[in-house]
Amino acid sequence: MKYFQTNESILFGLLVLLCIFLSFYNPQFYSIQNIHSILRSSSTVMIVAFGMTILLTSGEVDLSVGALMSFVTVIVMDVINITGSISLGLIAVFGFCLLIGLINGLVRTVLNVNSLIATLAMMLILQGSVYVYSMAAIYNTHLIPLFSFIGQGFFLNIPMPVVIMLFILPFFVVLLNYTRYGRYFSSIGSNPDAAKLSGINNNRYKVLGFVITSLLVGVSGVILASLMDTGQQGSAKGFELIVIAAVLLGGTSFMGGKGTIIGTILGILILKIIDNGIILMRIPQEFQLIVPGFILILAVYFDGIRKKNSG
Amino acid sequence: MKIVSWFLAAIITLSLAMSVSANPKRIGYIVNYGTHEWYQNVIFGLQSRADELGIELEVMDANLDINKQTQQAEDFMTKGVDVLIMTPVNEEGVVPILRKAKAEGMPTVLEGNPAKGMTTLFAICDYDAGYKAGDAVGRILVSRGESEARVMDVGLPLLSATLLRSLGFMEAIAKHVDAVKVHELDGSGMIDSSVEVASAALAADSNINVIYGINDGSALGGLQAWRAAGLPEDDLIVAGTGAEGLAFLNEMTKEGTPYLVEAAMFPEGVGYTGMNLAVDLFNGVDVPEHKVTPTLALTVHNYAKYYDFDKAGQKRAINFANVANIPTETKCTKYASDL
Repeated sequence: MKYFQTNESILFGLLVLLCIFLSFYNPQFYSIQNIHSILRSSSTVMIVAFGMTILLTSGEVDLSVGALMSFVTVIVMDVINITGSISLGLIAVFGFCLLIGLINGLVRTVLNVNSLIATLAMMLILQGSVYVYSMAAIYNTHLIPLFSFIGQGFFLNIPMPVVIMLFILPFFVVLLNYTRYGRYFSSIGSNPDAAKLSGINNNRYKVLGFVITSLLVGVSGVILASLMDTGQQGSAKGFELIVIAAVLLGGTSFMGGKGTIIGTILGILILKIIDNGIILMRIPQEFQLIVPGFILILAVYFDGIRKKNSG
Repeated sequence: MKIVSWFLAAIITLSLAMSVSANPKRIGYIVNYGTHEWYQNVIFGLQSRADELGIELEVMDANLDINKQTQQAEDFMTKGVDVLIMTPVNEEGVVPILRKAKAEGMPTVLEGNPAKGMTTLFAICDYDAGYKAGDAVGRILVSRGESEARVMDVGLPLLSATLLRSLGFMEAIAKHVDAVKVHELDGSGMIDSSVEVASAALAADSNINVIYGINDGSALGGLQAWRAAGLPEDDLIVAGTGAEGLAFLNEMTKEGTPYLVEAAMFPEGVGYTGMNLAVDLFNGVDVPEHKVTPTLALTVHNYAKYYDFDKAGQKRAINFANVANIPTETKCTKYASDL
């Protein structure tokens, strides 16, 4: 009985109900093409959300992920266009993401700036500086088939973004659930003073959380660039809010201390299936923004209730 | 003696003409969203014509902030520019600016969208641009022996301008073949959003043979979604709108691409025309309320007449003379009030 009261089981039930409702409404919901579409668009969110789950669990947040992702699309396309090398493009992207993650982490821990403010500032810096880097969108002139394959290809009839996400997923499931490092992130989030007294270097783990999140943005950004076939300033608009809403919906506490990757995955699937349903049911698409907004409020509200009850 | 008289008369006429139509010295332009490719090319057109006429052009970017635009307009008036050109952030928001400019005797020209109290506007006709693209697509369908167009419209339903484009596109196709709008999507005018919504729509029904995008990002997003779904491109036709930057040229010049038509709006030409209009207004020439700028359906066969495209260098150079020779409407076939 207790199993059916866990956050994940409630989300899973909600997901099943949504799927049943949509399949009755439109049998195409279960078409392989639609499942591919949902999973492909979920994958880029999931990859970044794995990092965001760690960050939120440790009591921090990163609002710069959307702006960084947009910048990544521009960098990867530009570097590959110039060098003709995917490897160099990836090195440039991950070097840049590492730097941004480090800056976010150091501003939070060394300068002691609240992460909400620090990453909001980083978001603005990235949004502006991408236009300093290039005023125009960067189009794919290298035409390397492998690059298109990253976002548009299939492996064993599974879209490549999903394959990449599945490749990364086990690392985070194990990290958060089965290693002491995962427990460190929870401890830092739930009681930073106690964590410090028990010998955990809070700042080091927080910086690590920001760096991991930024590197994951690099992965998603490369997929997005491949999918768009373009490096586009202004892409991934509002992406950070979707990621945060999904992670909170998945049961990760905004106040830190609690979070699961499975919950995050379920949260993302629910949001993406609602998005898909809005299109299948031909509901005005403004609801794609309205729904996550409501869900964000509800998720934080229920998180508060859970916290109160457990307290 | 007769020759001398003619010569003197010519000199006097020329001197009079020069004294009447002296160019303004400084013109200020407030763009609403200067980082967008479209506006960068509008600015390029304005600057090109300003350079030819020896006019100093100063540009400010309101970055979609009407308060900022109001402040910038006041700054330009204080600086004493000879003509003020503005792309309104919103149509209501610029009304007080127009009122103040009129009170201070500042000639003001709008770009893109009309506003209450304006003197003159330079802008494309959205319906007609969409219509021209639809007409070109209809002809291709007929040449392929198709009797039906099943269209995925990657649009922006909240804006009247983009609704007019979609309407023109559908009405023009319907003149050639049966036209059905299978999907009407909101791609937010962005390539990533368009990929996402088009993917979901194609999963629901991929029995379409035409993708229309209200701008280049929307059209390319629809096409990328098609490709990501692994659908065959043989019978597909993609049409975009805007010719905002290099996107359509890159895609259109690929071998075997289904991106066959672009409703070109020539942003550089828009700027060029706008500068001429500003000079005319400054000189007291009778200007139209709406100066329509050229639009045309571009294909891989005719784009080179208007754009010199350097694919390797990722540059394009517009041929202003050929764009200026495109026949333009004196007024639009349909306006927002017709929706």
